[in-house]
Amino acid sequence: MTDALTAHHLTKRYGRRTALTDCTLEIPAGRVVGLVGPNGAGKSTLLQLACGLLDPTAGRIEVLGKRPVSGVKEVGFVAQDTPVYPGLTVAEHLRLGARLNPSWDRALADRRIDQVGLDPAQKAGKLSGGQRAQLALTVAAAKRPELLLLDEPVAALDPLARRTFLQGLMELTADQGISVIMSSHLVADLERVCDYLIVLVASEVRVAGDVDDLLASHHRLAGRRRDSTGLAVLEKSVAVIEESHTDVQSTLVVRSTAPIDDPSWQVDRLDLEDVVLAYLSGRPR
Amino acid sequence: MIWLAWRQFRVQALSVAGGLLVFVGALALTWTRVTTLAEETGFTGCRDDIACRDAADRFLRAIGHESAGALYLAGLVLLLVLPALLGIFWGAPLVARELESGTYRMVFSQTVSRRRWLLVKLAVGGVAAALSAGLVSLVLTRWAAPIDAAGSSRVEPITFLARGIVPVGSAVLAFAVGVAVGLVLRRTLTAMAVTLLLVVAVQIVATPVMLRLLAQPITTVTPLRADTPMVLIVSGTHVHLDAGNDKISGAWMIEESVVTASGETFTGPVDTTKCDTSIKGELVQECRDWLAAQNLGQQLTYVPGSRFWPLQWRVFTILSALTVVLVLFSIGYLGGLSRSPFRRGSSAGRARGSARRT
Repeated sequence: MTDALTAHHLTKRYGRRTALTDCTLEIPAGRVVGLVGPNGAGKSTLLQLACGLLDPTAGRIEVLGKRPVSGVKEVGFVAQDTPVYPGLTVAEHLRLGARLNPSWDRALADRRIDQVGLDPAQKAGKLSGGQRAQLALTVAAAKRPELLLLDEPVAALDPLARRTFLQGLMELTADQGISVIMSSHLVADLERVCDYLIVLVASEVRVAGDVDDLLASHHRLAGRRRDSTGLAVLEKSVAVIEESHTDVQSTLVVRSTAPIDDPSWQVDRLDLEDVVLAYLSGRPR
Repeated sequence: MIWLAWRQFRVQALSVAGGLLVFVGALALTWTRVTTLAEETGFTGCRDDIACRDAADRFLRAIGHESAGALYLAGLVLLLVLPALLGIFWGAPLVARELESGTYRMVFSQTVSRRRWLLVKLAVGGVAAALSAGLVSLVLTRWAAPIDAAGSSRVEPITFLARGIVPVGSAVLAFAVGVAVGLVLRRTLTAMAVTLLLVVAVQIVATPVMLRLLAQPITTVTPLRADTPMVLIVSGTHVHLDAGNDKISGAWMIEESVVTASGETFTGPVDTTKCDTSIKGELVQECRDWLAAQNLGQQLTYVPGSRFWPLQWRVFTILSALTVVLVLFSIGYLGGLSRSPFRRGSSAGRARGSARRT
């Protein structure tokens, strides 16, 4: 099966500012991928490169095995701030979708509008942020893409609208079996829906992988204080992601596929948020 | 796509169309009045030159007192201003608003190529611009035909730009200018202002200059005879001879002068024994005879009224060619926008920028 997205040394510069540096990625198809990173990390840039709104400065990107071009039927995109036409009604947005997409699934669109309780006669400019996001998601989903790209769709939503939106997204992915790449600066948003995670910091990919694998391979080690030479005794297969030291104690977040047997460390499991935070605050590779 | 292009455009389209229809309605209401006046004053069906000139004067004076006169001027102004209006209110926001509000990201995510998106939007607006300008110009050209014939000439720059098919060319070009400017500047208001400047420059500088260059005026020299109406002005050594009959009906008069046999402008000297320059008014016969014997000729440089349609087509072709260039530029520019960022148009870019700084 073709990968949903592959990138090789992908770089994007806006004038002198670099938004994405040497990004190499392989995202398998059929996954719900979370793209997490602080504001300004390059998430939007990566997604806009993936949907062909931007062209790379250097490197190569392929989406569903092809160089991305905007306006193809295989890729759906919900941009940041979920732009909609304020002067058009909800129903007119669906009509827009139907007119511009040969693969339009009208039943799906109508059902979703009904489910999320949008009034078809309402002008999109009068919708709340949550409703607007739902409308944008509906238009993108009813296009029946193979890959759906969502750029911070819930960033501007209140917790309830967030939950409703993610609920809707999960139903869609369960029904359609499509690949989704969704960015957020909050892990909590992604945890519930994603089974694959990419951490992007300062325009670099820090880690990418299956959520279960990430959880299984990351550990928190706590033990008596030791300096970096003391850390060197850790096995080669163990990578230190983050370290913090007090006068008496050292705490490490490490990545290791093998279990850590060293009895001088107390080994704890991490949840996804801890793993991500370790990469966000840790040193660059 | 046509549906969307029309849906986004219909408010502006209908408001302009409404205004123009009111004007066309006013022309329709005064139509019979203009023809009646032309008949009553004897202008319609006048035979010889002198009778026609008098009838034309009576007709123009009569029209001047009526609402038709005001309408005639309003028509000139409207057709000169219409391209600017269409460029500002139809052209400039067409793409700029999408780039500014970020909705381009929504529409480009549908199954439609950017080129097609832009072409359909351009086609819908361009056809609307051509139809509006064409309708007004067609009706006005026919309505004003007797007034144009009685008045100066419709080949003259101002009238020329408000008659025939040139308004269509100007309107479509102005629309394309607005679109291209909006695409490059990505800000609706700035684009509107710049479009206004550019379209005014085209309307009041470029097109008249183009007309002058294309006009290829005719120059004729008629021998001066003793019975030609003449005015002789002498002040000191400066001599100026003005010959009458200096108007050619329907033509755009560019230059007139009295020339010598070698083709230079006649500047004297004058035989003062024959022509007593201290006497004002009609020249004495002796002076006329003397002047007629000097081998002088009246030289007229003008564009005949019959050139109207050939010139209209030529100017229209050039305006259309410019439009095509702008459209091609816009399509190319829109395609290349993904290389340079949509930064200024996207709030995402601004948010990212400010997050960096903090």
